[in-house]
Amino acid sequence: METTTPAIPVLTPPDSLAPLQPGRERLFEVRSLTKVYPSGESEIRALNGVDLDLYSHELIVLLGASGSGKSTLLNIIGGLDAPTQGTLFYRDLDLTHATEAELTRFRRDSVGFIFQFYNLIPSLTARENVALITEISRDPMSPEEALALVELDQRMDHFPSQLSGGQQQRVAIARAIAKRPEVLLCDEPTGALDVQTGITVLEAIEHVNRELGTLTVVITHNAVIADMADRVIHLSDGHIVDMRHNRVRRPVCTLAW
Amino acid sequence: MLAPLDLKLLRDLGKMKGQAFAVALVMACGLAMMIMSRSLILSLETTRDAYYIQHRFADVFCNLKRAPNSLRARIAQIPGAAAVETRVSGTLTLDLPGLAEPADGAIHSLPEDRRQTLHLLYLRRGRLPEPGSTKEVVVGEAFANAHGFQPGDTIDATIYGARQRLKIVGIALSPEYVFEARAGEALPDNKRFGVFWMNERELASALDLDGAFNSVLVDVAPGADNAPVMAELDRILAPFGGLVAYGRRDHASSVQLDDELRILRGLSVAFPLIFLSIAAFMTSAVLSRVIRLQREQIAQLKALGYSSWQVGLHYVKFAIVIVAAGSLLGGFGGLFLANGVVELYHQFYKFPVLELLPDWGMFGVAFLVSGGAAFVGVIGSVRQAVRLPPAEAMRPEPPAEFKPSIIERLGLARFFSPSFRMALRNLERRPWQALFTALGLALAAGIPIVPGSFRDAISYLLSFEWDVAQRQDVSISFIEPASASALADLQNLPGVMRAEPFRSVPARLRHGHVSRRLAVTGLASDASMNRLLNDRALPVALPPDGLLLSAKLAEVLDVKPGDVIRVEIQEGRRPVREAVVQGVITDFVGMAAYMEINALRRLLREGGTISGAHLAVDSMRWPDFLARVKEAPRIASLSIKEAARQSFLKSTGDMLGTITTIYFTFAIIVSFGVVYNSSRIALSERSRDLATLRVIGFTHREVAAVLIGELALLTLLAIPAGLWIGTQLAGFIVMSASTETIRMPLILTTRSYVMAVIVVLASCAVSFALVSRRIHQLDLLGVLKARD
Repeated sequence: METTTPAIPVLTPPDSLAPLQPGRERLFEVRSLTKVYPSGESEIRALNGVDLDLYSHELIVLLGASGSGKSTLLNIIGGLDAPTQGTLFYRDLDLTHATEAELTRFRRDSVGFIFQFYNLIPSLTARENVALITEISRDPMSPEEALALVELDQRMDHFPSQLSGGQQQRVAIARAIAKRPEVLLCDEPTGALDVQTGITVLEAIEHVNRELGTLTVVITHNAVIADMADRVIHLSDGHIVDMRHNRVRRPVCTLAW
Repeated sequence: MLAPLDLKLLRDLGKMKGQAFAVALVMACGLAMMIMSRSLILSLETTRDAYYIQHRFADVFCNLKRAPNSLRARIAQIPGAAAVETRVSGTLTLDLPGLAEPADGAIHSLPEDRRQTLHLLYLRRGRLPEPGSTKEVVVGEAFANAHGFQPGDTIDATIYGARQRLKIVGIALSPEYVFEARAGEALPDNKRFGVFWMNERELASALDLDGAFNSVLVDVAPGADNAPVMAELDRILAPFGGLVAYGRRDHASSVQLDDELRILRGLSVAFPLIFLSIAAFMTSAVLSRVIRLQREQIAQLKALGYSSWQVGLHYVKFAIVIVAAGSLLGGFGGLFLANGVVELYHQFYKFPVLELLPDWGMFGVAFLVSGGAAFVGVIGSVRQAVRLPPAEAMRPEPPAEFKPSIIERLGLARFFSPSFRMALRNLERRPWQALFTALGLALAAGIPIVPGSFRDAISYLLSFEWDVAQRQDVSISFIEPASASALADLQNLPGVMRAEPFRSVPARLRHGHVSRRLAVTGLASDASMNRLLNDRALPVALPPDGLLLSAKLAEVLDVKPGDVIRVEIQEGRRPVREAVVQGVITDFVGMAAYMEINALRRLLREGGTISGAHLAVDSMRWPDFLARVKEAPRIASLSIKEAARQSFLKSTGDMLGTITTIYFTFAIIVSFGVVYNSSRIALSERSRDLATLRVIGFTHREVAAVLIGELALLTLLAIPAGLWIGTQLAGFIVMSASTETIRMPLILTTRSYVMAVIVVLASCAVSFALVSRRIHQLDLLGVLKARD
């Protein structure tokens, strides 16, 4: 049985922001990001002052327990939610003060999302779900191309109810990448899948990151997956407690959990 | 390929087609009614206007005793008179082989030595009489059809005492007889009353009016005022025994048509508006549910980069599709119904051609109105949904806030089952929603009351008019007012058991600026056959002096008992008198004024004259009576009560019956639609909770009880409110359909209420059964997947 070879941890303080390799550009600048939201009669401090820079071509894994704020951080970075305090820049765009139209444009042109529960439109086939994106994108792949990339070209005309969990997730990936986004955000993409299917899904994500150079952020609470990343960021109670760079990225097929 | 969002729209609609169809159907009912009545209005108005213009219907009419033909030239010179026609008019009685009782008719002359300029006939078959010929007549189409007359047939008629055999040479229509009925009567009696035309010289001779005329028609120039023309005409004709000139407003046929249009206009707005409001409310409820269910999909779409606009538009399209379906259904349904009613109208209104003219403009307006209403209903939910930041929308809704319900606060909780307590708490949690659902249910209960009350009103009217008010068998009118001895003659006819005289004069009643032209009828104070009734159907005694007016007439003239009005008699010496209004009576057809017969005679300064009498005839001797009465020379018309009742039943009764059935059907559709919709929405909102109950171990029946308990509670509360609403609706519609020609009483019987309750309960039973089936399909496993 293979054991994972832990990469040499390089503990860098949270505010060390040097890029890993020359030639990569900084895409996101996050400063003092805080998010508080009401829920019923209580109040939840999901994020408590996060500072972070994210670069193109990177594959980042966000680790943390339930309630650590990783989903919240991902949602805010992707323009799905607004922070209570702090700033967030995507290149020159100030996302914290962006208008509704600017946020929509940002999501449409630059970001691809993948969620734990696939979130496909149930009344559309796989191909049509991907077409949702290609209809409104500037320079998309065709739905067929995107589905071929995740090896689902044989099942393009099936409805979500006719696909297995792994297949649905792969349709979601195809949908996310069809627009050739600069950023790919994945919230627990394998959480609802068995190990084998999970590996297939992660391989697709890895493939896309390498082929398209997309900044990819993957949330998981499974520490083993961290080995496939360039950088691993550890969140707890709404702030970053640890950040390390992996000198070498382990291919997904070598991981086991 | 369609855009993916539009594909989603079609497929989602397919999944909820039951509900979408229910809403579309309710909308269609409202639109159908609107299109039907407005198309009928358009058809009648357009046809009437064209008919009046093409066949030169006069503006001013005047009857007189006798004036020489040479006077025609002077009349033609009245300023404002564009065309003048003088003619000879009279009445005749007919002895028809197929008819036991005598028939009567009006007869008018056709000019021989000059071209006819006004009241041009529309010849349906045959020809006009040859100038100079004798014994040739043209017959009105309604009467001809009732008897199957053809050109070439002969009939025996008595004109002014002389019996003749006439040959029918043509069958025609005239703009002055769009409504082919006796003057003063509200219904055509096509079998017993007809209209005839004969050459002028021959008719004048028969009526002892050689070289003279007794009727004038004037066409007033466009832009000129009627009043000075009428005044001048009166002045010229006064020495010749002229009755007062009158205009179209007082012309029986013309007024009938106007009143019909008024009723249609009233119906075309009130009822449909109610239906469309319900449809808008249902659309809103259905779409709110869809949006709530698709909260996560909305978040997805926004995450993918669709703007709030695009997502909002997608959901508005749901409403648009439903509105389009409802409009198509309603439009074609309305046209179909209108076609049917036009067929019925052919019975009443004699036009050369009466075709249905669909009101396409109204179609467009209706589409916009229902679209607008649906849009308003939907926009709130849509806006709320797209406004949420996507991340929030993807989070499951926090558990709903529940509080102890009222029975728990009162400490009564232990008397009620958990299901009931759950139901009550849920209703209290969302009071506005419960209120709206209850409102819909109340309307579902109330609407069936309206057609029910129509049907009861018709029965009441029939019974009131022909059983309680009029108890005579026959009413006879004389050609000219006769002396008291004429009464004795009538009493001596075979089979006559009792004869009550009446004296009737045409008069104009005036109060302030308002006046009306009608007959003032004098009745014997001990009259027991033709009785005057109050609103409780009890007899009203005739005061020794003064007038009793129809309640509607009192309303029109704005008088109450004690007021004084001016009575301008339009006969003989045309005296103008003042009389006191002593009270009002209730009637439903036309408007009338009554006095004690001797009081009227005093007003006219005359002795014991009578215009006619009401007779009670022994039914065993009926044939003898009819045989003798056919030969009586002085009789102008004979009206048989039983025949009038049958005539009403077959014509107006039929028509009202058809309309009532249509409305009742619509009411049932609305009732079912609202209840079904509410049930489906309640189910889908609670499906997670209900599935959880199933998982815990509640049986299907227990779960159904929770859901249905809520709805049943609301329904029970809604029914009394609904019955009240229905009562108000019925009252409102009866009021808007009340005209001077015909009115309906507001009758609300227990039967109407019971029917309404049955309809809503039946709808509930069926809807609940359908919804219960769906409980079996609750996704139990889906519930178990927790989302964090």
